[in-house]
Amino acid sequence: MTPILELRNVSAGYGPFHALFDVCLSVQPGEAVALLGANGVGKTTLARAATGLIVPTEGSVWVDGVDMTGVAPFRFARAGVAHAPEGRSVFATLTVEENLRLSFRQSKGRRGVGAALDQAFSQFPLLARRRPMLAGNLSGGEQRMLSMARVLVEAPRLLVADELSLGLAPIIVDEIYHDLARLRSEGTALLIVEQRISHALALCDRVVLLEHGTVIWEGPTDGAEARVVAKIFDHSAGEEPPC
Amino acid sequence: MIFASALGEDLARALLQGMPPGAVYALIAIGFVLAYKTSGVFNLAFGAQAYVSAALYFQARQEWDWGILPALLVSVFLLAPALGLILERLIFRHLRTSSSVAKLVVAIGLTVAIPSLFDVVVGFSPVAGQTPTGIIPGGANVFYQPFGVYAFSRDELMAMGLAVVAMLGLAALFRFSAIGLQMRAVVESPRMTELNGIQADRVSAFSWALSSVFAGLAGVLIAPRFNTLAAPDFFNLVVVAIAAAAVGRLMSLPRALAGGLGLGVFIALANTFLPAWAEAHPILAPIQENVAPAVPFLVLFALLVLWPAVRTTKEQADPLSGVDPPPPSLASRERSSGLTVATRVFAVVFFLTVGFVVFTRADVNWLFLITQSVILSTIFLSITVITGLAGQISLCQGTFAAIGGFTVFQLSDRYGTSALVAALIGAVVASACGALLSLPIRRLGGVWVAIATLAFAFFFDAVMVKLPWVGGGGTSLLQGTRVPRPTIGPWDLGDDKAFLVLALVVFVITSLAVIQIREGTIGRTLRALRGSELASQSIGISPARSRVLAFALSGFIAGIGGAMLSMQQENVNYTLNFSPFAALFWLVLVVSLGSRTVEGAAQAGAAYALFEAIVLRGAVFGWILRSADRIPGIFPISPKWRFIIFGLGTIQFARHPEGLVEFNTRRAHRRTEALLARLRRPGAAPPPEPDVPEAKEVVP
Amino acid sequence: MTPILETRGISKSYAGIGALRDVALQVGEGERVGLIGPNGAGKTTLFNCILGLLVPNAGSVWLAGDNITSLPVHQRARRGIGRSFQRIELFTESTVREHLLIAERVRRGNGSLWKDLLGRGRPTADELRSCDVVLARLGLAELADEPIEQLSLGQGRLVEVGRALMTQPRVLLLDEPSSGLDRQETADLAATLRELQEEQGFAILLVEHDVEFVAAFTQRCYVLDFGSLIAEGLTAEVLERSIVRESYLGTPEGPDT
Repeated sequence: MTPILELRNVSAGYGPFHALFDVCLSVQPGEAVALLGANGVGKTTLARAATGLIVPTEGSVWVDGVDMTGVAPFRFARAGVAHAPEGRSVFATLTVEENLRLSFRQSKGRRGVGAALDQAFSQFPLLARRRPMLAGNLSGGEQRMLSMARVLVEAPRLLVADELSLGLAPIIVDEIYHDLARLRSEGTALLIVEQRISHALALCDRVVLLEHGTVIWEGPTDGAEARVVAKIFDHSAGEEPPC
Repeated sequence: MIFASALGEDLARALLQGMPPGAVYALIAIGFVLAYKTSGVFNLAFGAQAYVSAALYFQARQEWDWGILPALLVSVFLLAPALGLILERLIFRHLRTSSSVAKLVVAIGLTVAIPSLFDVVVGFSPVAGQTPTGIIPGGANVFYQPFGVYAFSRDELMAMGLAVVAMLGLAALFRFSAIGLQMRAVVESPRMTELNGIQADRVSAFSWALSSVFAGLAGVLIAPRFNTLAAPDFFNLVVVAIAAAAVGRLMSLPRALAGGLGLGVFIALANTFLPAWAEAHPILAPIQENVAPAVPFLVLFALLVLWPAVRTTKEQADPLSGVDPPPPSLASRERSSGLTVATRVFAVVFFLTVGFVVFTRADVNWLFLITQSVILSTIFLSITVITGLAGQISLCQGTFAAIGGFTVFQLSDRYGTSALVAALIGAVVASACGALLSLPIRRLGGVWVAIATLAFAFFFDAVMVKLPWVGGGGTSLLQGTRVPRPTIGPWDLGDDKAFLVLALVVFVITSLAVIQIREGTIGRTLRALRGSELASQSIGISPARSRVLAFALSGFIAGIGGAMLSMQQENVNYTLNFSPFAALFWLVLVVSLGSRTVEGAAQAGAAYALFEAIVLRGAVFGWILRSADRIPGIFPISPKWRFIIFGLGTIQFARHPEGLVEFNTRRAHRRTEALLARLRRPGAAPPPEPDVPEAKEVVP
Repeated sequence: MTPILETRGISKSYAGIGALRDVALQVGEGERVGLIGPNGAGKTTLFNCILGLLVPNAGSVWLAGDNITSLPVHQRARRGIGRSFQRIELFTESTVREHLLIAERVRRGNGSLWKDLLGRGRPTADELRSCDVVLARLGLAELADEPIEQLSLGQGRLVEVGRALMTQPRVLLLDEPSSGLDRQETADLAATLRELQEEQGFAILLVEHDVEFVAAFTQRCYVLDFGSLIAEGLTAEVLERSIVRESYLGTPEGPDT
């Protein structure tokens, strides 16, 4: 089966600062992969390389068997690879409705916008109440909800989600993971970057562990927890990267 | 009551009278807001863009006898968007991650370069008194008098109508259309817009094309206001428009319209009612005469200082800005070596030779230009201090210099003070003005300092220059602002060569002072602040105090230089030497060539005075071929090329803030040293060129 | 004994992530205190309130018994709050030694325009000596004349520490000093800091996500989650508490190694 996303020997960084070294990773259609590791090991860089936000200095990125290395991020989006970035992931200077409109106009066309908006607001009644507010004035949880609403209505083929739970209350994190599970059941593949590992492990089939910009372990979720925890907190476990 | 009805009529007339100029301000303000909203660039070059379309329209109509429609189409709907697209594609797209100050400097460079480039390419030279015409037949001559107290010309009605239509249309575009939404999204974060499947580059190109069309349209519409088309007038209008736009925090179109109209009406009211007031108090008469044109600048300055909301309208930081590689850091500093000694020896020999030739062979004209270049170098050292050391963009250095010049004029004219003493007093006054000016603006961020100083420069230009105790008022119109050459004991410096010696002495003393300051506590403090304000504060440096000091020092140096320039020309020649637009070119030159070092200032001074004479007039070929008759036929090249060359030179500021010449010198040094090293150790590998040093960490 | 640094009932809220609710924290003379918590818990907000970069909505900050809540950043620095930065903040176009020199000059407060003009603004032998002592102490002596752009991240962080030390701080605030460093560099930095701290007796408040570093380095620690302190006490004990593990790890169980 052609993987929906494949990174082949990718090295990447920011200018002269290198963050990823020779990383291989693939996500099959419908699969959910958790990308774990301590702070600053290159998880976010990997997520960005996977959706075209940064261009690898070496190696290649393939989507659906097509080489997309060096292609602008909007083409990744049009190929069905969505990216929910870390931190603020909505346009602070646009209202809630405009945020949604912006993405629905692109994905659903002029006629589809109204229906998509209705669908989003019926799924997230809270957002409907915040409709005319500037997204920058929403709380962190509401902002995250807004960016999820965008994705949920569109149902991409692959969602790369970067630290969705960052700074959010547990109850909201639970809700978000509930939404992710629903996306999964609808056939969307997931690549989840996460610090709160228990949630990620509960959702995903496979774990990829990153340290210092390289993949140090990869395997099924079952029984991975102890290893992952040990890895992050003790820096002692680990094997050679299976590349 | 007769009085009441007269008052009412005055009021009504003033209200109506203020509308047409108000509409003009509003048009530019709306365009400026449009450009700012859709590109995030504080586009001072907006006026230059407007000028280009207005000039092409004028040329097509007057010189080429085109009809109104084709002239309009070509100038507004072809040239303007093309220019916008070129600016976006070649310049601003690459400056996305640069600081807003860097973008501002580039925009200032373009303000200087674009009009000259157009003039040279099209061969445009406006004839004084040839008033441009509008876009409707008989626009200036057919009047309508709807309310019985004031008659609007067709042009005026057109401008007013268009301001309202444009505001409504653009507001609708932003509110209802997909592209309007996308333009706003791209300004906040091009990357996040791309994640939504939208091609950000295309959207941003559209933004530039749209705002450029608007600039062009505004330019053509407002051109009939001027007797003669001139780029500085358009620049002036942009600064007025920024005041109007500031009312809407640079973001709101309806408020920009209201701000523009409000300014127009306010000025008309002042013009209507102030004369009576001034008649009662004659001492206020000169202020009254000039207060109206200064209103916008006072409003702008007051808004910046008193209304934090204007300057805290920070662009939302792009959450994905970390994705783009950081701008390259500076080429590492050259460490002293035998090579530095060699260059210094060469420099001494070079200057001795030049000096010998100048003092023995040069005629009056060359002596004049060389003296001027030395004095300007002194003035430019003030930019070295404020921009190079303190990292602030000040656009009122010309004003500080003018204060020095006017002080000498006043003191010697009224009290017969010795010119040199007067020059020192002038420098102190300019320094005090610098410190006073910097107090209210000490907490403003980079771009806003530039705008506040610009407002101050225009305020000085509009009001102070015309006051009897500053620029000499009416008498100076007849006699000029005469300034004597100084005498020191037995030496009469009226002689050109003696004065050149004085200018050199002043330059050398100032240079040494600047070097000492740069290497001393103040320079180190300012360098720390420029490097990181946050870190400077964390070791106890007060940013506000340091900036006030930098402004005071810079004012002092500019003041002394301005006094010298006035003495050299034996006249202040304010408009020619020190007007805000003229001083823009100073900044452009220094920033292009090197704002960090004394050498940069000296080169900028030489470029200002001598580039035209030596290069553009082809004198250098005359010397090489040993005959002025054999200078190739393409010379003289238009003097406007220096505006073009150095204006476009600012584009590199974003990448190499130390200046082009500085950068090249360093690179050349490094290469030479590498070569020397290879020659010394044959077979050894050359040391790697640290062109891109280790960048700061990026937290992924 | 009066704590050297204290916050009383700090609350800070603004739109978006990271509000603080009623945070009270104390750092004693010569103590090493940690402040930990998951990303977005409000650590940086609290840090900025202490430094003066943010003004709290309620509550006060005290330094050695003085209320400094209304002082600007640079005056807090002069009174003895030194800091390092998570994303290193160095002065471009300067050498390593120049970083320390300017801090030393500001601390002595003996620079003036006249001295500069008379050529006495250049570093004195005395100043150079005190810089060299600190540089040697940090192992930066050989890099003293290197331009800052040539340094590695770890070296840059040491320069920051050196610069802060030149101000002779009473309390040093370290903002995620291990970020971007590898294990060995982190361990070296911790060792150096510890030695210096024990020698000179300043206090340290450390914001950190690297639990291992905090466990090894600090005596006491505070745990923030969702803007409130959820635990405080001796570091070893705090890290054992299940509430801390849950908030920090998102896992109910601890590591079973």
